[in-house]
Amino acid sequence: MANRFFALLLVALAAPAFAQDDLMNLLDAAQGPVKKSPVAATFKGTRIVNLQTNELPASGVGQLIISHRFGTIVERPLYNFGGLDVAQMRLEYSYSPAHWLNLGLGRSSANKTYDAFAKVRFLRQKEGGMPVSVVYYHSTNLNTTDYTDGVPEHYFSDRLAYAHQLIVARKHSDAFSFELAPTVVHYNLVATPADPNDQYGLGLGGRYKLTDRMALTAEYFARFHRPDGYFDPLSVGLDLETGGHVFQFHISNARFMNDPSWMMQTPGSWGKGELYFGFNLSRVFTHRAPKMAKEIDVL
Amino acid sequence: MKKILLTTVLLVAAWGASAQRFLAKETYIRFFSSTPVEDIEATTNTAVAVWDKATGEVAFQVNIKSFTFEKALMQEHFNENYLHSDKYPKATFKGKLTDASAVNWEKDGTYTGQLKGNMNIHGVDKVITVPVTVVIKDKTPSISSKFKVKCVDYNIEIPTLVLAKIAEEIEVTVKAKFDLMKS
Repeated sequence: MANRFFALLLVALAAPAFAQDDLMNLLDAAQGPVKKSPVAATFKGTRIVNLQTNELPASGVGQLIISHRFGTIVERPLYNFGGLDVAQMRLEYSYSPAHWLNLGLGRSSANKTYDAFAKVRFLRQKEGGMPVSVVYYHSTNLNTTDYTDGVPEHYFSDRLAYAHQLIVARKHSDAFSFELAPTVVHYNLVATPADPNDQYGLGLGGRYKLTDRMALTAEYFARFHRPDGYFDPLSVGLDLETGGHVFQFHISNARFMNDPSWMMQTPGSWGKGELYFGFNLSRVFTHRAPKMAKEIDVL
Repeated sequence: MKKILLTTVLLVAAWGASAQRFLAKETYIRFFSSTPVEDIEATTNTAVAVWDKATGEVAFQVNIKSFTFEKALMQEHFNENYLHSDKYPKATFKGKLTDASAVNWEKDGTYTGQLKGNMNIHGVDKVITVPVTVVIKDKTPSISSKFKVKCVDYNIEIPTLVLAKIAEEIEVTVKAKFDLMKS
């Protein structure tokens, strides 16, 4: 009886060798377990609107972003063509020397600000593994406007402000991604003694894909220091992807684009309808191409 | 009696395993899309192939994410927007020579023939027939083939916006060097 059971077991074990998908099983075995690949394209762009995402341009790739924020939509809309006559703009170029590092320079109209920024990737979300992607973002910002405060002497360092941000992002599904971005902005010089030099905030952002190439986006930045006259920036947008470009159109109460200004000093209010139409347009340039597979010689 | 049965089962199992099979880990697959605006190329060395001499069956398998493009963004779009590789991680082919006698396994040489079988890309099955060149050296085969694949046949949608940049027919080159499987 025991022997018969043993024989049956052997037949059962041998049977798969004769099954229809034998060859395919063999190929699966030959290929080995598929490596858990990092989750790609949590967001289409490296920014949602103003808020950074966990995305970096690929290694060896540079990215140009041209951004415009127009005038208020409702103020004399016919005269100002919905605000399009008055534009704030930002130019930035960044380059990724490695897949985990992106370095860039930018210039924004608000406060005639130059900035240098870096993004460092620490963790990548993986299917069946790491649940989130984590990226650190830093910008150093140089305000170059003329002083109007009447103080006779200023230091160069008075012009500097810094932003530090930890971006924790997750692609929940093919369509839906979400991120949290705890932030601190340090101002070397603040407007009033009541304003702290270190100001904290929390960025929240998400996207919902409508099609493979179109997504709805939203971001909100909650400030913990809330002086009068400034509001939390809230933006909603539409991402359109066309090959090498990503077009991001949005409506926001934030009109400034450098970090210290848009994060903590947004004067517009959704409640009062102080909204601005804007866009980011990105284009990538491959400076160093990835290594292609080698053709083999079969003859 | 029981012992005879057991021995027979074991023998059959052993015979099955020793049937001559060839495995190819040295492979090359290339996609090439050409339009007046842009040429796009993607390659991989990570496909695997097997050739069962007894049944004449040849099978290929490749992980879609293993294809490398000249531009990283193209690779992302290829996976995210066109091949949906999270959902359909592999492309496979399984078929036979339409005329098995086209290849003389015993004699070194270069033989041409047709390979007919089922191609699965993007989760869509399609029976195709493609020209192949088979090189036999020391009773061991190598294979190479070049053929066209129509995106529409595999429900791979190309938006009108990029129609000028991506060809509707993609040229595929497949090469594989087999080795006898030791069992």
